[in-house]
Amino acid sequence: MTATKIMPLNPAPDPGPDTREPGTIAPRPVLQVSGVDKIYGNGTVALKGADLTVKQGEFVSLLGPSGCGKSTLLRIMAGLGQVTTGNVRWWEQDYGVVGSRGRKLAFVFQNATLMPWARVRKNVRLPLDLEHAGKSEDVEQKIDDALGMVGLKGFDNSFPRELSGGMQMRASIARAMVTEPNLLLMDEPFGALDEMTRNKLNDDVLKLWKEKGWTIVFVTHSVYEAVYLSSRVVVMAARPGRIVDDIAIEEPYPRSPNFRVSTEFAGYCRQVSQALERASAMGEDRDEERQP
Amino acid sequence: MNAPLIRNERFVQIGAPLLVGVLVLLVWQLTVMAFEVPKYLVPSPVDIGQSLVSDFPSLFNALLMTLKVTFLAFAIAVMVGVAASLLFVQSKWIEISLFPYAVLMQVTPVVAIAPLIIIWVDDTTWALTICAVIVAIFPIISNTTLGLRSVDPNLLSMFRMYRTSRWQELMRLRIPSALPYFFGGLRISSGLALIGAVVAEFVAGTGGAQAGLAYMILQSGYNLQIPKMFAALILITLTGILLFALMVWMSDRALRNWHESALKVEH
Ligand SMILES: Nc1ncnc2c1ncn2[C@@H]1O[C@H](COP(=O)(O)OP(=O)(O)O)[C@@H](O)[C@H]1O
Ligand SMILES: [Mg+2]
Repeated sequence: MTATKIMPLNPAPDPGPDTREPGTIAPRPVLQVSGVDKIYGNGTVALKGADLTVKQGEFVSLLGPSGCGKSTLLRIMAGLGQVTTGNVRWWEQDYGVVGSRGRKLAFVFQNATLMPWARVRKNVRLPLDLEHAGKSEDVEQKIDDALGMVGLKGFDNSFPRELSGGMQMRASIARAMVTEPNLLLMDEPFGALDEMTRNKLNDDVLKLWKEKGWTIVFVTHSVYEAVYLSSRVVVMAARPGRIVDDIAIEEPYPRSPNFRVSTEFAGYCRQVSQALERASAMGEDRDEERQP
Repeated sequence: MNAPLIRNERFVQIGAPLLVGVLVLLVWQLTVMAFEVPKYLVPSPVDIGQSLVSDFPSLFNALLMTLKVTFLAFAIAVMVGVAASLLFVQSKWIEISLFPYAVLMQVTPVVAIAPLIIIWVDDTTWALTICAVIVAIFPIISNTTLGLRSVDPNLLSMFRMYRTSRWQELMRLRIPSALPYFFGGLRISSGLALIGAVVAEFVAGTGGAQAGLAYMILQSGYNLQIPKMFAALILITLTGILLFALMVWMSDRALRNWHESALKVEH
């Protein structure tokens, strides 16, 4: 196995990032997951026939009971796991394209996953260091911006353990943002936080998503969070993990906290909850089938 | 402001064991005096103190010799041990093929192979050092290897996502993750280096200018200079304690900002 180096020059002409006005032409797909099965070494069928296309500028939530394969699917989307069958395309190309200009990918884990031995600033600059970005003024500016956007200005020299859980998560998001990713994959990033912090971070992420023109795939097990954030909620069922529903949330952005208390919100939540219940029931049916 | 000293945690930590030590010495001294136990059976603390002073030149020489072997062995054990760990984590195959030999070295009693080494290696200092290395190296290898493997899998995923080289992965991720384990290994290994040096000296029985503390103990035993024997023993123990304290201090300094083992918990 040879490590693929990111080439500064693309042999094929690079169509570049999609800068077309949203709504004028159908947006390009950023991620295409087709017919993906994932069977782990111990025989667990984590995904069965997963098909999902995520288009430029979408905010897609993956929602489902725990153990239904959300993390597995997200890791495959990040190129972190081998698929057993099927294939995944990034910007309509192979994984090799990921990392080049306009096709950057970042991952936010459920835990902040910071390096405990490094100060916040060093943690945030890690992706740039790994890309050998050096220490230019431009790079320092990017780090300052990322820290500013998540509200961690002035915490450069703190160690992760000196921060609250919410602040650690912010540092983790700053680290993902610092490379200016085009596709952001988030695995239950706020699952461990209290509701106030969670709502605040939800609004922050929505704002950044709009400002930066990101495409986001967001894993959650909270119906409310999924409805509040997403333009699309993809519902999954367990055993085997599969996609069972795909619900568009047509509320326009920017969404304010008022949306949380609106009747539309309640309606969407009911719709998604019912889909989730059906999904869970499917899992249970299978359990019953297995019994003699 | 002026809280009573008994409330001061540091004072209690040092004071309490010190008090116990002084009490034991006092009881010892009084018992020996009361029952008029002869010096060559059980010397009193005062006798031992006198010997420490009067035999200081020969004891000090012996201490230097033992320290030399201990530090040399410790340094070699650390360097070779770390190098071996770095090699082990490069591939499962290397580890599988070589690790059993590290275990073999660990389980073979050094007294059993010391005579061989002393025959094979002409220079006494080196012969003793090799024996001490064999005793001290295992905790370094096993702890450091464990540490280099104990990397947060998510962080590792992240590094892989940025297509990081193995070298970067090692320098930025594996080595920092391994530090707490490595320092744990140092604590154990430093004590073992001293024990290895003393045991090897016993086996070698080297006298003359090369005599270490173990030889002092042997010699004093033959001559029934029991106070001197105790004095040499005390020097060995003190060396061990100082070494351990030094390792704890180093590890605290290196880890104090981030690792649980070195954190000051504030209530
Ligand atoms: N590395 C692994 N090896 C074996 N089984 C795994 C592994 N990771 C996840 N699984 C299994 O795959 C299924 C889906 O897991 P996961 O994707 O983590 O679900 P979710 O994120 O929806 O909770 C679960 O049954 C889980 O036990
Ligand atoms: Mg998960």
